[in-house]
Amino acid sequence: MVMQALYDTLKPRFLLGEFTKQRDDLAFITVEAVRLHALLRHLRDQEGFTHLVLLTAVDWLEDGQFQLTYLLNNRAKRQDVGLRVLIARDNATMESIHDLWAAAATYQRELREMFGIDFPDSPRLHEDFILEGWQDIPPYRRDFDTLKYAQENYRDRPGRETRDPAQHMKQQLYGED
Amino acid sequence: MSIRDVLSPFTAWKNLFRDPVTIADPLNERPGAARYRGFHKNDMDKCIGCGTCETICQNGAIDMLPVSGVPAKLGDSGLRPRIDYGRCCWCALCVDVCMTGSLTMSNEYKWVESNPDLFRFTPGVDKKHWDNAELGYQRHAEKHLTPGERVEMPELEPAARIGSFTEIVDGYSIEQAKLEADRCVSCGLCIATCPAHMAIPDYIKAVRDGDYERGVQLLYETNPFSQVCGRVCTHRCEDSCAARHEGDPIAIRWLKRHIIDQVPQEKVLELIGKPAAPTGKKVAIIGAGPAGLTAAFDLARKGHAVTVFEAQAAAGGMTRYGIPEYRLPYDALDKDIAVITAMGVDIQYNQRVGTDIAMQQLQSDYDAVMLAIGLHQGRSTRIPGSDHPQVRKAVDLLRQITTGEKIEAPKSMVVIGGGNVAMDIARSMARLQLQQHGEIRVTLTALEDKAHFLADPVEIKESLEEQINILDSRGPQACVIDDSGKLLGLKTWKVLSIFDAERRFAPQYDESDEQIHEGEMVVEAIGQMADVSLLGNELTEKLEWNRGRIQIDSNGRTSENWLWSAGDCVKGPDVINAVADGHRVAISIDSVFTQQEAKS
Repeated sequence: MVMQALYDTLKPRFLLGEFTKQRDDLAFITVEAVRLHALLRHLRDQEGFTHLVLLTAVDWLEDGQFQLTYLLNNRAKRQDVGLRVLIARDNATMESIHDLWAAAATYQRELREMFGIDFPDSPRLHEDFILEGWQDIPPYRRDFDTLKYAQENYRDRPGRETRDPAQHMKQQLYGED
Repeated sequence: MSIRDVLSPFTAWKNLFRDPVTIADPLNERPGAARYRGFHKNDMDKCIGCGTCETICQNGAIDMLPVSGVPAKLGDSGLRPRIDYGRCCWCALCVDVCMTGSLTMSNEYKWVESNPDLFRFTPGVDKKHWDNAELGYQRHAEKHLTPGERVEMPELEPAARIGSFTEIVDGYSIEQAKLEADRCVSCGLCIATCPAHMAIPDYIKAVRDGDYERGVQLLYETNPFSQVCGRVCTHRCEDSCAARHEGDPIAIRWLKRHIIDQVPQEKVLELIGKPAAPTGKKVAIIGAGPAGLTAAFDLARKGHAVTVFEAQAAAGGMTRYGIPEYRLPYDALDKDIAVITAMGVDIQYNQRVGTDIAMQQLQSDYDAVMLAIGLHQGRSTRIPGSDHPQVRKAVDLLRQITTGEKIEAPKSMVVIGGGNVAMDIARSMARLQLQQHGEIRVTLTALEDKAHFLADPVEIKESLEEQINILDSRGPQACVIDDSGKLLGLKTWKVLSIFDAERRFAPQYDESDEQIHEGEMVVEAIGQMADVSLLGNELTEKLEWNRGRIQIDSNGRTSENWLWSAGDCVKGPDVINAVADGHRVAISIDSVFTQQEAKS
């Protein structure tokens, strides 16, 4: 009820998308990228959602989109609200929010490194975050082949061997190759 | 610098008097959290060695290896996962994807060795102190990476199908087939179970990719009867499917049918290509059923001249003359046969060997002869009254229905038998009854109790939907005939047990529980045998026999070096086994030809 009330208050002013109530104290709201900044500022300054809990991304490869999730917390009311923004996957760019929360710059630096999403003007955005000297495509993109990378970059200890279940069964049960 | 800046470090001092949040004694046990992703456990009773854990591992940390004391068997490869902790990152994808739930994680996280090779271990086999840990990461009870439920097959409702012999099963649409194919984890446990070792995961992948032409090529590598097997195969592959442990097995049979349904006949011929150049060798095959025609297809593709002698007016054997049209329409069967004849196989119809042409003639005119005559003679119960003209054999009636002979459906009838043939004749006669009399009155009596019925469960379900009155544990005692010689029905006793202590067939009855089932006709559907009269006395004497069947070696060759035999007549009834048998004989005959060439 509480989360629905929040949504109803915001909706006329910010042209919100889909609303998903996860729990009594947690809901997600989809919003267009251009409307995010104003909405965040309103939530922070007017609705008591003063804390940016996290900023993360999901790669919807098949749809050609990244989903950004901004999770905010209202400490006084013990509520969380997540804002979901879908952006194009090609040349992915999103407005920076480091002016609202300085800590966002760190999240944005991580997302630039892991997903290849650009946040123009975000401080130290292009410095290596944890992947020092990374040459490949960003590793959290779903088209990054983790297994291939692991096999190319890490040697097996000697003594590794494996069998194909189908071939092994045929050979064991019928003596065929 | 303000006074606050000077004093604030001292405010930290107040923490000196608070309880510490660290653990005071680091030497004592500190268990991992309840859902901690610690060291792996594997339940040996549940693991089937499907290797899905190896496939999903993004670090290449898992190998599948044989383990002593775990033999390969149907539905279990006999391999077990060995994990290299030098590569593992404890992401738990292997646990999430495990098809049986055997692979889990304990909450243990401490393990010290001086030999690094010991960190490559086989959970469940190499005993570890966390094997019995109760806590640790387990896969979510409901959220599985692969959907457990099969995509439902669209079928005719009982009321819509019972009035005719129209095919019941519609076949998947492309979207449905893709969804179903998506459930397959490509482990390949099914391949060894399939007698013909069809490339099942590969052709399911072809459905996923929408590459039906590749699908058809894969089917024809191992089976020229995909229209048939895609509809009526006994699909033992689905019994060893990894998906069956926590849901429905993949609908392998329906996906095979889906592939062959998508590609036009001309395209199929183009994909298979032309046979090899003629070799000058001649092969005679007796019987145009799945075994005979599979061998014919293989031998013709090798360039040998193949003539098939068929006693009936059309090819297919039991698939045409035994299986009702509502399960296998004749045009589907005809498509499979047309591809085989397009390879140059010459089928001589209405040619009964032993009557129209002698066995000795074939022996002298051909370089090799193959006997694939199936099981077309119905067995009799030999109970009193079973020689009455209205007591019929199921195989004879089914054949008559196929040839289009007019059959006077009795107003009421009793079927003896609980196998698929009994269901076939009961359901076929029910359709005729409805057409001729407007109502269905078929009683089916089986020796077995419901839990041990020989027929496929789906056959029983559909028979019940079609108003067949199925009675279990009833033993036939006599056909009841009145003074005027009219058949009134079947007398049965309640079955107490079917086999004796030595597992020999010796039914015991409760004679006090006697019933008379009304029927103007009684149909015996208790098994079939091969009609071997075509062999003649001399050859019958010469051949070696094994419990009433012609003795063959593992290549299908009889004790006479010019004669091979395959299919139902030597192996018992099953289409896909007959196909596998046909391949075996073709390979054997071809290799004998090759040896002969090498010698000359």
